[in-house]
Amino acid sequence: MNTGPVPIREARPSADRSRPVVTGPRWRAWLEERLGLAVLEKAILGGEMPGGASLWHTLGSVAAGLFVVEAVTGIFLSLFYAPSVQTAWASVAYIQDQLPLGWFVRGLHSFGSSALVVVAGLHLLQVLLFGAYRRPREANWILGLALFGLTALFALSGYLLPWDQKGYWAKLVEATITGSAPVVGGAVQQVVQGGTAFGNLTVTHAFAAHALLLPAAFVVLLALHVYLYRKHGPTPKWSLTAEQIAARTQPAFPYQSVRNASVSLFVLTIVTCLVLSHHGAALESPADPTSSYLARPEWYALPLFQLRMYFEGPLELVATMVIPGVVSALLLALPFIDRAPTNRPSDRKRVMAAVGASLVALGALSAIAIAKDARDPAYAKARAEEETRAREARRLAEKGMPAEGGLAVFRNDPLNHARDLWDQRCSGCHGLTGLGGDKGPDFKGYGSRAWIRGFLENPEAPLFMGTAKIDRGMKSVQGTPEELDDLTEMVYAQTGAPDADQAKAARGHALVDQKDCDSCHELDGEGENAGPNLKGRGTLAWVEAVIADAGQGRLFGEKNKMPKFAGKLTAAEIEDLARFVLSQKTAN
Amino acid sequence: MLTAGIGALVGAIAVIPGLGLLAAPLRRAIVRGAGQPLRVAAEQDVKPQKPIRVTAVGEVQDAWLRLDHVTVGSCWLVRATEGAPIRAFSTICPHLGCGVDWNDKTGKFDCPCHASSFDLEGRCLSGPSPRGLDELEVSLDTHEVLVRYRRFRTGSPKKEPIG
Repeated sequence: MNTGPVPIREARPSADRSRPVVTGPRWRAWLEERLGLAVLEKAILGGEMPGGASLWHTLGSVAAGLFVVEAVTGIFLSLFYAPSVQTAWASVAYIQDQLPLGWFVRGLHSFGSSALVVVAGLHLLQVLLFGAYRRPREANWILGLALFGLTALFALSGYLLPWDQKGYWAKLVEATITGSAPVVGGAVQQVVQGGTAFGNLTVTHAFAAHALLLPAAFVVLLALHVYLYRKHGPTPKWSLTAEQIAARTQPAFPYQSVRNASVSLFVLTIVTCLVLSHHGAALESPADPTSSYLARPEWYALPLFQLRMYFEGPLELVATMVIPGVVSALLLALPFIDRAPTNRPSDRKRVMAAVGASLVALGALSAIAIAKDARDPAYAKARAEEETRAREARRLAEKGMPAEGGLAVFRNDPLNHARDLWDQRCSGCHGLTGLGGDKGPDFKGYGSRAWIRGFLENPEAPLFMGTAKIDRGMKSVQGTPEELDDLTEMVYAQTGAPDADQAKAARGHALVDQKDCDSCHELDGEGENAGPNLKGRGTLAWVEAVIADAGQGRLFGEKNKMPKFAGKLTAAEIEDLARFVLSQKTAN
Repeated sequence: MLTAGIGALVGAIAVIPGLGLLAAPLRRAIVRGAGQPLRVAAEQDVKPQKPIRVTAVGEVQDAWLRLDHVTVGSCWLVRATEGAPIRAFSTICPHLGCGVDWNDKTGKFDCPCHASSFDLEGRCLSGPSPRGLDELEVSLDTHEVLVRYRRFRTGSPKKEPIG
């Protein structure tokens, strides 16, 4: 029986080779024991660059970095965005124009997404050039293509979210293309857009896809992509020999990492400059399903847009489905088709030629599309109109959006608001059509020489005071056509119109006494008489005064039959209405 | 270190403007209502010792949205005697924000949540409320009662307007 002392088990093995030896400060050892940071550190910062670090190998990291920028800015934007037909445009306009730095965050998100497409595309080309898709990296090539596809879906779904003209119409075209796919197209379209037509579910679906589904899928695929990259390591440049590769190999950290970070900063600086110079991303006017908008896709979809022009009728599917489908299939199958002995591009001439030809084709199609629009005056005109409309909508949105959202913003325009007031308060008696009012004058062309001349010639015509049935109203003015012209000009000059002929107006003034106008009308702006004081007749203030209280002594006095609106309408509403009436001078 | 520094710069470009956006509600009122005198009742409807509860309907601006005819809040209109001036008290209990009710039997305003009670002049008689009912500005326009509705921070002895 062993009676010797039981050996005390050591609390810590003195030389546990499974754990990395931690040197350095005690807090590091403390953390290491609990969290195993060294393992994490090795996983993140470990790895080698066979053949040495290079700028070629930064592209994947930069794309991943841009994805993080998209995620961060996207989360901030989602805190202020409201996905529905009524609120989408309104909340984006609020972010863009009212929240401090909102335009910058949105701009970073938008230009950052374009940069992501560019960098991911360059990454794809670099992989093609280096032959990095070849055995044993086939799976990672396919993952990369899938990530590229997700990037495209991000762009498609994100484009729609502001529910402005360009987002709405671009998405409508894409949805229709989806629907045109054989067999399942219609069903896919209905599921994606949440119904047979665009509506609230289209916005909620696009938002959920853009902010939840796609990011989740992207993160998973990206993690697998990085894992396989670390498993197989980077593909060194084809020109290096095995000895050179071995001799030049560097640890990825810090040699490759510092290049990755620097290029990321460089790209983000360009993006920031674009954001600043454009004052953020464009926001067009709210989606108007009844307009005929000249829809153009975002720049990276222009080649497809142009390609479609060459295929008409049933052949359209060739451009929208067949060609993109064949190209995608070829790309996916590439590692299995390419049987070249080495990674040298010279050994892979057919692949290089196909890539080169595709690039030329993409460039040429884009150039044709851009050149065609640049030459088209109708396109320039439509763009200019849209820009004006967008500016107007965004200016009006700052007054607060009506609950209907979207196009209802134009009701904030005083003239449109006044039109509503007119319909409620004025249209019962007055006309606007030139056919006469029911109980008062018709204002079509009000303030024009023709209207005044017509009034002077026959005040009791149905277009003027006829339907008001005023007791002992104004009598027709008798005189030669020249005299009537002069009197018309005198009244016209009272409106303050800059094109009034002052000499003619002065002659008209001289006729006031002769034609007996002054027995009923004063011209000093204060005096009261049987008819209205004509000083400033037809100015904004005068029309406002009539709407507020037409029964004032200096206006229609006791003969007045029009209700008083002061107290019923606010001063601002009366002003809007007066402007509306005056706008009838030139309205059709 | 260089890598970390450059990385931090990249992060800062994305994060700092976003934090600025996030901090916007600290610097500006997101929901803005009323502030204007709003018609709530006819003068003759307010009888002595018989408080009536009325709602103020006005314009509210909530982030991007502007609503023209929404209930901004409600208040009690009170007059002590015939011909005495009309006073208005917010229905929001200054304790934790429940709505106070008029109790006809006791002639007091009672808070249903934590049993604070207030007299006809808004003074706190009993219960946990840190201050009396919040009085609102009243004006008259040809026999119509106008109230400038406001909200005040609850739970504090001081009457501080919000927004």
